[in-house]
Order: sequence, then structure tokens, then C-alpha cells
Amino acid sequence: MVGSGGASASEAAQLARLEEQAAHGGGGAWEYLCLVRRLKARRPEPVLRLGLSLLNDSKARSKLGSEEWTLYEQVAIAAMDCQNIDVAKDCIGKLKKKFPESLRVGRLEGMLLEAKGAWAEAERAYAVLLENNPNDQLLHKRKIAMAKAQGNTTLAVDYLNKYLEIFMADHDAWRELAEIYVSLLMYKQAAFCYEELILAQPMVALYQISYADVLYTMGGMENIQTAKKYYSSALKLTGGKNTRALYGACLCSGAINQLSKGRNKEEESSELQALAAEVLTKEYKRQAPAKVPIVTEMLKTMKLS
Amino acid sequence: MGLGFVVGIIGGFLIAHAAFSTIQYRGELKIMEEQFTGPPFNVVIELLVGLGLCLWAGLAVPTKFLSILPHSDENRVVSLPANLDFMVFNHRGKVLPSNPDLKLKI
Repeated sequence: MVGSGGASASEAAQLARLEEQAAHGGGGAWEYLCLVRRLKARRPEPVLRLGLSLLNDSKARSKLGSEEWTLYEQVAIAAMDCQNIDVAKDCIGKLKKKFPESLRVGRLEGMLLEAKGAWAEAERAYAVLLENNPNDQLLHKRKIAMAKAQGNTTLAVDYLNKYLEIFMADHDAWRELAEIYVSLLMYKQAAFCYEELILAQPMVALYQISYADVLYTMGGMENIQTAKKYYSSALKLTGGKNTRALYGACLCSGAINQLSKGRNKEEESSELQALAAEVLTKEYKRQAPAKVPIVTEMLKTMKLS
Repeated sequence: MGLGFVVGIIGGFLIAHAAFSTIQYRGELKIMEEQFTGPPFNVVIELLVGLGLCLWAGLAVPTKFLSILPHSDENRVVSLPANLDFMVFNHRGKVLPSNPDLKLKI
């Protein structure tokens, strides 16, 4: 029911449970690996350990059938993430023997060069692959990732913009661009990227919260009022359960009251602030009762200011 | 689940039998040259019973229905995926000691 939007609470809990179970030798390794692949979670250590245990056991390996090669790919990437270059090289070697002229394996080899830190060679490998497959999205994204890894953020932004001119519907790229802009403190451009994301996936509250965060950071009466609207929308989408959105709503109301102290603005309905504050204290009482006094202090100072 | 299948088959058979009876009844009415106002009472009862059984089987045979409410707790999106297409490998995990026992046996 979630599509490409991410993991729901029940799926995240299931992932954690399977990881625990497989770590203590309770089986379910293949289930765990499939779930990781479906949720696109980044868990290199368990994946490497469990994947290798499956691949080294020839009986389990033959049971997988043709899925064995997907497992090799998954383990190779996890090994590169754990800096275990030998395992990655072995897995890629096996894949290359089975699929000699494959673009997917060529991409993996490029990633291996990246993981080793051999940037120039990786660049050359990707250039060769791009000549034969100029419209492959993942190759372009690897080039962007390489620029990011080398710390050349302006080049990464450049490449990303060129990529998005061609592949405008790619949400992951918009998200990446937004995060890079935020890291470069270019908030207006980041806001634009988040707007694209909200347009594409209006039911995902997390994009709206990030957008509201950026607006609140930019400051100014209008931005903070818009931010309050987006925090409220996120609260509606998550049923009031997202703590960050609750904090955002309280802080925005506080900031608006402070900014409009000098001028006699029309009386903003303070219902939102009161309700958000109430829900916030209730949540803290339920989950972290030791921190309730800090929260009540903070809310009191905001209401007074 | 076996019971659900059996009940479903019985329900389906009842409905088919009711249809056959109705066709037979119409044939008899044509012989007697009377109007066809509706199937006889017991055929209607048989139809309703067959409907009930098929409904019950349709709900009981599949194992567990997935939740479709977007705002229910189990469907709420809690975290976004890690954006694996842009994954970089020169992160701080490099300094963690790697387990030398992890090797792929050829």
C-alpha cells in the first residue's frame, strides 16, 4: 500500500524482528534479504553476514535458483558498503562469468572502483558504459554520486540539474538535489525542489515537513505562515503522531506571535498552538516521562514571548 | 481453508441448480401457456442460500486482507527509503574494523 513512498511502521518493525531472529540463528535469512530489497533499506552489515552464509552453503544456494544472482548483486553492494573489497570482487567475478556483456555487471564494476577510491578509473569505466547506453538513469546517478563523494558539490549540483532536465519525474533525484542545496545553505532552491516533491507525492507527510523546515529556516512572516500551514497539513496526514510536525506547529505559532508583537495584526487563532502543545505534552508523558518538565518549560516560554 | 472451499463449491452448485430449475420452470409455463412472473418461491430461497454460502466462502478462503486505509497505523509512512541510487562508499564506516572471516567460498 506504500508504493515507493518508504517504510511504514509495521514494515520497519517486521524488518527489525527478522534481523533479530536471523542474527540469533533462527532462520528467515532469505525473507530478511527480500524485505531489505523491497523496502530499499540500507543495512550493509546484516545483509553481508546473512547473504554470505546463504551463498557459502551450496544447498541453500541451489534452492534459490535464478534469484541467486540478485543475491550476489545485493551482497556485492553490501560488501562495498562495509569496505570488504575482496568479497565484493569475488561476487562481481562470479556475476561477470555468468553475464559477460551485461550493463548491470558493468555498473557494479564501476561501483567497485568507486569503493576502492580509484575515481579516475571509475570515471573512465562509466564514460565507456555511457557511450553505449546514453539513456541509462543509474549510470548518470552514479556519476552524480561520484562527484558528491569527491566533495565536489557544485559539480554534483550541475550534473543533477542536467539530469533532471531530462528525467523530470525522478523523485529520488529531486530529493537528493534538495538535500545538497540545504547542505550548501541555498534554501530558496531547496524549497523549489521540495515543492516538486510535494506535487509528485502529496500524501507523503515527510516531504511537507522538510519543506516547512526549510521555510521556517528562511524566516520572514510569510514563510513562517506558509510553514505553519504545511506543518498542519503534515499533522493531518500523520494523524497528529509526528513529533517533529507538532514541534514545528508550536514553534511557528510562537514565532508569528513574536514577529507580530509590534504591529496589531488580526488575532491569529491560537487554537492550533494550544492543541499542538497539549498533544506534545501527552506524547512525551507517554513515551519519555523524564523529559516532560523540559517540554513544559519550553512551551511556557513560547506562550509568553 | 478447506472448509471454505467446500462451502464455496456448494454455494456455486446451489446457484447453478437454481438457474437450471428456473429454466425448467419457464419451459413448463410455456407448455401451459402462462405468463412468467418470477421463479417459484423455493427457487428464490435456494438462490439466497447459495448467495449466502458463496459470500461466506469468498471472505473466508483468502488468508488475510491487507489494510487499505492510508491513515491507519500500519500503513503510515514512517521513514523514507535511503536513496540507494546515490549511495557513496567513502563514509566514516571505513574506519570500522572489517571482519576478516567474511569470505566468499568459490
